[in-house]
Amino acid sequence: MVTGPSTALRQPKTTHRSRAIAFAALAAASMGASWFLPWWRFHLLAPQYPEGLELVVYLHGLGGDVQEVDIINHYIGMAHLADAAPLERAWSAWLVAAFALATIATAVVRLRWLPAVIAAMLPVGFLVDTWYWLHRYGNTLDPRAPVHLDPFTPVLFGEGHIGQFSTQAGPMAGFALALVAVVFGVLAAIRPRAHASPAAPPRAAPPPGPAR
Amino acid sequence: MNGAGLILRLLTACEVEEEEHEALGGDLESIMESRGLSEADILAAAKTYTPSGKLDEYVLLASGGHSGLVLAIGVPSMRILKYVAVFSPEPFQGYGMGGLGDAVLYGEGKQRGRTLTWGDIHHPNLSETNGDYDGEFMFVNDKANSRIAVIDLTDFMTKQIVTNPLLASSHGGAIVTPNTEYVLEVSQYATPLGGGFAPLADFQKSYRGAATFWKFDREKGRIDPARSFAVELPPYAQDISDAGKFASDGYVFLNSWDTEMAAGTLGEGKPFLESGASQNDMDYLHVVDLRKAESLVAAGRAVEINGMRVLPLDVAAKEHVLVFVPEPKSPHGCDVTPDGTGIVVAGKLDTHASVYEFSKIKDLIERGEFTGTDPFGVSVLDFQKSLRGQVEIGLGPLHTTFDDTGHAYTSVFLDSTVVRWNYTQLDEPPVSMPVQYNIGHLTAAEGDTAHPKGKWVVAMNKMSQDRYVGTGPLQPQNFQLIDISGPTMQLIADLPIGLGEPHYAQLIKADKLKTLQTYTPAGVNPYTDARGTGAVAPGEERVERSGKKVDVYMTVIRSHFTPDTIEVNEGDEVTLHITSIEQARDQTHGFAIDMYNVSVSLEPGRYEEVTFLADTPGVFPFYCTEFCSALHLEMAGYLLVRPKGG
Repeated sequence: MVTGPSTALRQPKTTHRSRAIAFAALAAASMGASWFLPWWRFHLLAPQYPEGLELVVYLHGLGGDVQEVDIINHYIGMAHLADAAPLERAWSAWLVAAFALATIATAVVRLRWLPAVIAAMLPVGFLVDTWYWLHRYGNTLDPRAPVHLDPFTPVLFGEGHIGQFSTQAGPMAGFALALVAVVFGVLAAIRPRAHASPAAPPRAAPPPGPAR
Repeated sequence: MNGAGLILRLLTACEVEEEEHEALGGDLESIMESRGLSEADILAAAKTYTPSGKLDEYVLLASGGHSGLVLAIGVPSMRILKYVAVFSPEPFQGYGMGGLGDAVLYGEGKQRGRTLTWGDIHHPNLSETNGDYDGEFMFVNDKANSRIAVIDLTDFMTKQIVTNPLLASSHGGAIVTPNTEYVLEVSQYATPLGGGFAPLADFQKSYRGAATFWKFDREKGRIDPARSFAVELPPYAQDISDAGKFASDGYVFLNSWDTEMAAGTLGEGKPFLESGASQNDMDYLHVVDLRKAESLVAAGRAVEINGMRVLPLDVAAKEHVLVFVPEPKSPHGCDVTPDGTGIVVAGKLDTHASVYEFSKIKDLIERGEFTGTDPFGVSVLDFQKSLRGQVEIGLGPLHTTFDDTGHAYTSVFLDSTVVRWNYTQLDEPPVSMPVQYNIGHLTAAEGDTAHPKGKWVVAMNKMSQDRYVGTGPLQPQNFQLIDISGPTMQLIADLPIGLGEPHYAQLIKADKLKTLQTYTPAGVNPYTDARGTGAVAPGEERVERSGKKVDVYMTVIRSHFTPDTIEVNEGDEVTLHITSIEQARDQTHGFAIDMYNVSVSLEPGRYEEVTFLADTPGVFPFYCTEFCSALHLEMAGYLLVRPKGG
């Protein structure tokens, strides 16, 4: 894959490579750690819940007041939350491991921007998938439910209102860590200007420019 | 500027717009004028008024008297928080209304084979650790039927009733020893121990009192009758009791008011008990050496009466387990000082509070220095030599409680006052403050513990007279909150109690109570604190039939019962095993069936069991008695009892 580097540039290329691998490893570690952390939260407020109800989304499942939210949801005929995203939850650990390994592997084989792209696929994929399930749940309400609502998509980000509930939805530490992984991926791709390093060779060759 | 002026300034300077002032009926000054309120009233309101959402600092756990209930009241707001059903059936808590509580109230609570549906609660006592309230349990006595109940303060539920097999009435309870090893229950009206007949002419020979030491097993949260025992006492109408602490730990003290052994007219023209029992100038303070009694019982010196080990009076007298100290005529209160060095006795018919010095009593006993014996051979100490001193309190002093500054507060019945005095040096002129009216007990913040908190005293008055809008001849009792933090005591709030006459109460710091919000995991039998035997999870609901026995395993959650249709045949014995699978705070359901006299409460996670004979054919709706949700009315079902041959 390495195509005809000049002798003068060989040393810096090796430095770039180990630097990229190091950042890719950090990205992979962030992804791995994020699996253990909550990614997204839905905070529901209503007059009879002065402290609110909290739903916390992990890649591997749900936490918080799941039973209580299910009880409320059953009045509008919404399915049980625990039944959502069964494949995603079951395979999330493998998926994260695969993404982490792919991030490192693509750095090792010097696919410059691929680690960042792979890292970005995780949070983007999460958002798309979460939106999909919110949409699906809000649009497959049991018609026999006591309370009839028009199909809707619960809010994924920001504030939403259904009945007496107002919902605040937003990211948590796991999602933030996934974004950190993307940043590491980008750092892995960026090659600092040669003169930035004290061990930089004489400026015999043009400095590596930003990818385009 | 004085305090009231400051408050006025603060209140009138608040940021409410002028228009809103008008809408609310004027500013503070005009409200004060129109309602006739003084600055002191406004100060009192500022000390007690608790805006919505703010919590009380203390909880008063008060006897509900012959309602058979205990009340929990917030202090300083004086808001009633809860009624705890103890000796009476109570539908809100589903106690004694067809559910599991029946086993406590009608099972354990049976006295001599009789089902009782009321009790006369006198003295709630909180469990203690090292002489201080620990907020775990409360014990109450039923004076009428000589029973003790155990209330768990995690859920404010009555967990156990023990019936005294010796006595026919008990007043001096349910005080606890400093680490709640024992709960004391002392007889009031003497009877033959263990029941049975004896003519009143044999009063001295056959009638007896007893001090029962119920052994409390804290681990189990229950009294263990098998490890309990009693000490036989003369028929002197024993009264209020208290347990020693620190130097006096291991001793208990009881009053008596009938050393005359009067027993009424006997149909022979003798004086009524009220006169007969008031002839002697002195009655006897009973000093009981609990440790010695324990070891004598362990050594086999007790006899068994109705399954209770009883240390006989002659043994107790001979071994000085029981020693008497004279006390002024017909006393009532008997209260050990926070440091355990003194015992305050106040005589209803004497104007003094007498403070006994425990070290002097102990010295006299150890030296064998007695003035003589009573007719039962019990050694008697010298009154003066046992005293720390006496303080002139007023007419009809009763009970004493303590603060954190060396002061005692004594209720004075006839004068209708609370009197503050110094119990250590006895050297301050007593200060009195009127209360309305005829005060009985009083209680200060943790006032009977090793570390009283001061700040508040609650006076429990027997009469309210003119204090409230009339509600007929049966008037409420009157609780009054007194601020004792300043140099003068101030009455700052009244609370009418429209229940059977409350007696004693204890005032505990609210943060010591560690209460449950839900039973978790769901399916808890609150009377055993264990998983209910028939508790089921969602999906396990079913009906099982075996001959004439039908078991229905139900779950309850908003807003339905599963199953909601129950079909049985006339004559079937039906048991409903009901599990609330709710886990949200305050999400309580109820369960009631038409005609079958069933009402149970299903707090989140609670398990209940309802058994009845389906002896009447017909259609019986059952429903949730709590407005649990918007679809509460829809939370219902049918019990169908098919007629025989139908």
